[in-house]
Amino acid sequence: MKTVILFMVLLYVCDVAYTSIYLKSNPRNKLQYILNTKNENFDIVFLGSSRVANHIDTKLFDSLSNKKTINLGVQGAGLNDNLLQLRLLIESNNVYNVFLQLDDNFERTGPTALGTAAAMPFIRNNVIKEHTKEYFENFNALYYIPFYRYAINDPKIGFREVFFSLMGKKPRIDPSVGYNPKFGNDLSQKGKLPKTISRVNSILDEIRRICKEGNINLILFVSPYSSATGNMDYIEKLKYKIPELIDLSKGYDDELFFNYGHLNNKGGQLFTKRLYYSTLKKI
Amino acid sequence: MLFNSLDFAVFLPMVFILHWLVSKKGCRYQNLILVVASYVFYGWWDWRFLLLIVFSTIVDYSVGLSLSKEDHVKKRKALLLTSVFVNLGLLGFFKYYNFFIDNYTTVFSFFGSKIQPNSLEIILPVGISFYTFQTLSYTIDVYRRKLEPTKDFIAFSVFVSFFPQLVAGPIERATQLLPQFYKKRSFNYNQAKEGLYLIIWGLFKKMVIADTCAKYANDIFSKYESMNSLSLLLGAIYFAFQIYGDFSGYSDIAIGTSRLFGVDLMKNFKYPYFSRDIAEFWRRWHISLSTWFRDYLYIPLGGSKGTRWMNLRNVFIIFLVSGFWHGANWTFIVWGGLNAIYFMPLLLANKNRRHLNDVALERIFPSFREFMAMLSTFLLTTLSWVFFRSNTVNEAFMYLKRLFSFNFNGGMQYLAIERYAPELMILIICFLFVEWHSRTKEHPFFDKLRYFKLMLILLGIITLGNYSSVNDFIYFQF
Repeated sequence: MKTVILFMVLLYVCDVAYTSIYLKSNPRNKLQYILNTKNENFDIVFLGSSRVANHIDTKLFDSLSNKKTINLGVQGAGLNDNLLQLRLLIESNNVYNVFLQLDDNFERTGPTALGTAAAMPFIRNNVIKEHTKEYFENFNALYYIPFYRYAINDPKIGFREVFFSLMGKKPRIDPSVGYNPKFGNDLSQKGKLPKTISRVNSILDEIRRICKEGNINLILFVSPYSSATGNMDYIEKLKYKIPELIDLSKGYDDELFFNYGHLNNKGGQLFTKRLYYSTLKKI
Repeated sequence: MLFNSLDFAVFLPMVFILHWLVSKKGCRYQNLILVVASYVFYGWWDWRFLLLIVFSTIVDYSVGLSLSKEDHVKKRKALLLTSVFVNLGLLGFFKYYNFFIDNYTTVFSFFGSKIQPNSLEIILPVGISFYTFQTLSYTIDVYRRKLEPTKDFIAFSVFVSFFPQLVAGPIERATQLLPQFYKKRSFNYNQAKEGLYLIIWGLFKKMVIADTCAKYANDIFSKYESMNSLSLLLGAIYFAFQIYGDFSGYSDIAIGTSRLFGVDLMKNFKYPYFSRDIAEFWRRWHISLSTWFRDYLYIPLGGSKGTRWMNLRNVFIIFLVSGFWHGANWTFIVWGGLNAIYFMPLLLANKNRRHLNDVALERIFPSFREFMAMLSTFLLTTLSWVFFRSNTVNEAFMYLKRLFSFNFNGGMQYLAIERYAPELMILIICFLFVEWHSRTKEHPFFDKLRYFKLMLILLGIITLGNYSSVNDFIYFQF
């Protein structure tokens, strides 16, 4: 019995310790950075997955447009995670233009472990609490069981990350800039887009609603794919469904790719310029 | 149901409470609870395979009873063979059918004959190798008149299906386990406490050591073609600790769980990586399987009696069969053969039984000679694990070829990327230190510092355990 009580106490102590460290440490990821921003004006915000993080050279876009730009693309993130980022960002900042990257993420509405793990230490934050309650089946366990949220997200917010936060180690990617360039060229691995497309995506509708209510200019675009990607007609179906979608998925040499679905640094810079000139009149 | 799952965390306390609630009514009720719990535990994976366990139970129970009534030698032998054929037949079909068909086809193709292979999509029932050997031990012991056959079907059913050790051992002997189900078990606080300590230590080995090493070992083995020698050596070492943490962790949890129900199981591991030669290693690794083969195969073959040539032959047979028991793949057979080769010099020099005691007894540190002996045994074992871990024999040879190319370009290539590797090495060293300190005990919680150690280990499980990617125990596949 003593051992069981000791275990419960340790769970609680670890939960409190981890949460305190995350609350007091310098931001080491983009979500933490958003939570730390107050009353800032963001002219341009990029939302999406690694196909945003690796593709949009923030400083280049900033200098081309002369507007304050931030890249909030997160590896593995889906639209649901982007919705949470947007909700948190507009909670205490001003946002004028949102660039949202669409591709096969249109097929999913649920949160992803990679995308939202970073939010778990801050589950007591009202926006995160409500979002988690709305979309996470295990909300009660995440909210009420001590340490549960850290245990199931251990690769992202486990011991290693909390240790680095405590030590004040700087992250590899500056979250206030957000561009994560890739180097090299390896198309040996093939990728595939889905064959069929969903009718609607409720998360995209919610993002549209929030932008409309907040007078935020929403621009939807597709990042490039290499020739190693199958079922490319999916993008045409997506474009048919969303006519305002800016389709930049084609027209890049394979040598500009890091892998089948991600540009390398050289490709990223070319794409950033192309996206800027394609949307020049919209921002 | 996995020991390191939420399902089991709910299941175990429920069975524990029920088992002790009915203790006043006698052992029959306790056994009944354990049978039902064991079937639920097993059926959690696939209830259809429960039929196999029930079938095996009925056959061996009936054979046992028939043996007790039969004095005619030939008829007794026929009864024993019935049990052997049924048990090994089931094992052979589910585990080895496709292996034999594939090899049969390959051999005939080699000689130019085209044969249409008749492979089947067979799912291997979890733990079949373990409970099959356990029930076989019963019929063989009854046949040898070492054990009175049981008339208590419920007790026999628990013996076959006892959930803590059903899917990955220890492979118990009927002579040791069955009598424990004949008498009423009374709750013993100290026994339960020791059981709980073993469960905690086992969970640490599995969730912290094995599952963390698994990430690296898997990554390195899957990309071995692009890894340099140092990385490949680390990959093999990580796997050595993965399989040790995984399997000995499982055994500790199994033994600990049994103690919660007042049942003692045999020890399956005795700190094998502190062995000074291969013979000692095999006295300390998977003890329940080694002793099973010793008693039911090695000794009937003649054991260490007879000519030197016969001794060598028997040792080779044991290791090859032991390898094949692990899986229907040539990699396991080569692994067994390699261990037999390691064993040969010791047998020829009559030195295979020179290390029967614990190393560095009553000393804090080993001597230099002992240390080197342990290190060389560990490295030999680690090399053999490459075969155990690889998908094909060819892949294992390619892995070793690259490992011995002594290409250190890029230095600690794998560790250069921002991952857990440096922390993992520190963790393994700390783990070895704790194991060394408690090498004459069952677990580290034995001295005045036990509560402090308990707190540290619990903290380790909480903060360093792998929860997001729960891995099956490796030995479930056997």
